[in-house]
Amino acid sequence: MEDISGALAVIGYGLAAIGPGIGIGIVAGNAVQAMARQPEAAGMVRTTMFLGIAFTEALALIGFVLFFLA
Amino acid sequence: MDQLVLAIECNPATDIVCTPASVNELFETPVVFSIGGFDVNRAMLLMLFAAFLAIALLYSAYRRPRLVPTRFGAAMEGLVGFVRDEVAVGIIGPEGVKYFPYLVSLFFFILIGNFFEITPLINFPITSRMAIPMFLALLTWVIFVFVGLKKHGLGYLKETLFPPGVPKPLYLLVTPIELVSTFIVRPFSLAVRLFANLVAGHVMLSLLLVSGFVFLTDVFGSGLSLGDRVFRLGWGSLWSLLGMAIFLFEILVSLLQAYIFTLLSAVYIQSSVHVEH
Repeated sequence: MEDISGALAVIGYGLAAIGPGIGIGIVAGNAVQAMARQPEAAGMVRTTMFLGIAFTEALALIGFVLFFLA
Repeated sequence: MDQLVLAIECNPATDIVCTPASVNELFETPVVFSIGGFDVNRAMLLMLFAAFLAIALLYSAYRRPRLVPTRFGAAMEGLVGFVRDEVAVGIIGPEGVKYFPYLVSLFFFILIGNFFEITPLINFPITSRMAIPMFLALLTWVIFVFVGLKKHGLGYLKETLFPPGVPKPLYLLVTPIELVSTFIVRPFSLAVRLFANLVAGHVMLSLLLVSGFVFLTDVFGSGLSLGDRVFRLGWGSLWSLLGMAIFLFEILVSLLQAYIFTLLSAVYIQSSVHVEH
């Protein structure tokens, strides 16, 4: 059997991506629900959704940068 | 192409994908010329080119506004109008018109810088070097702090650091968190978001497309058995197809990241203009 090799940073980034992944799913899912219930508010919901995604995604991206730094 | 192939080491006989020795190699650009010890590299020239393109596009679209715009004029009016109505006025409110010139320049400069990633023969997003996103984020930081202090005086700091309606003992906890999140994490995350997205895109694109290119050109190498040729053809087409799919995806990412950077800048300025909420 081959030895498992690679950097711990890869596992670290994988772990860092779990939370934001779930978070973005919740944000986008609820935005779709809101748009379906109130199509006339779709524009506002979309802007807010992008904001929410941007804030959530930041954590994953910081993990991604640390992966290169490590 | 030569440069990329040089930076990425690859042996189609043993590897299944090409990887660079260090990711940094993908982001180092050659020095084009030097002025008295100051090296001007390709990224700097591209940055100037992006600024020039942004100015030229806006100038040529708005030099002689027509009642019935040309197709190019209509496209530019659509983008500029979007930034004005949805971002500047939509987020900041009626006084957002004052910040609209900054936001629209920001949007076009970042958009063009991002599009360099997928422009053939350029293939290098200038926003993937931390200097540019960090500088733009600091510019936004200076603007929103300055606007807050100018508009509300020291009340801006009071409202930001000591939000009303919090029980007094909790300020021990709330004030440090607000201090860090408003004045340190905001510019940092704004810069890192743009930077990391473009770094990821550039790494994926260059690795996949260069791997595809190397494997597919190696199919016709001399002295290979049929099995070897099929092996190279299989991996080569897989990486090329994946690279092309990500190429399309990166168009979306470029647009979205330019929009999000502008949107968040507007949100931060808004939080200084209307400090009470």
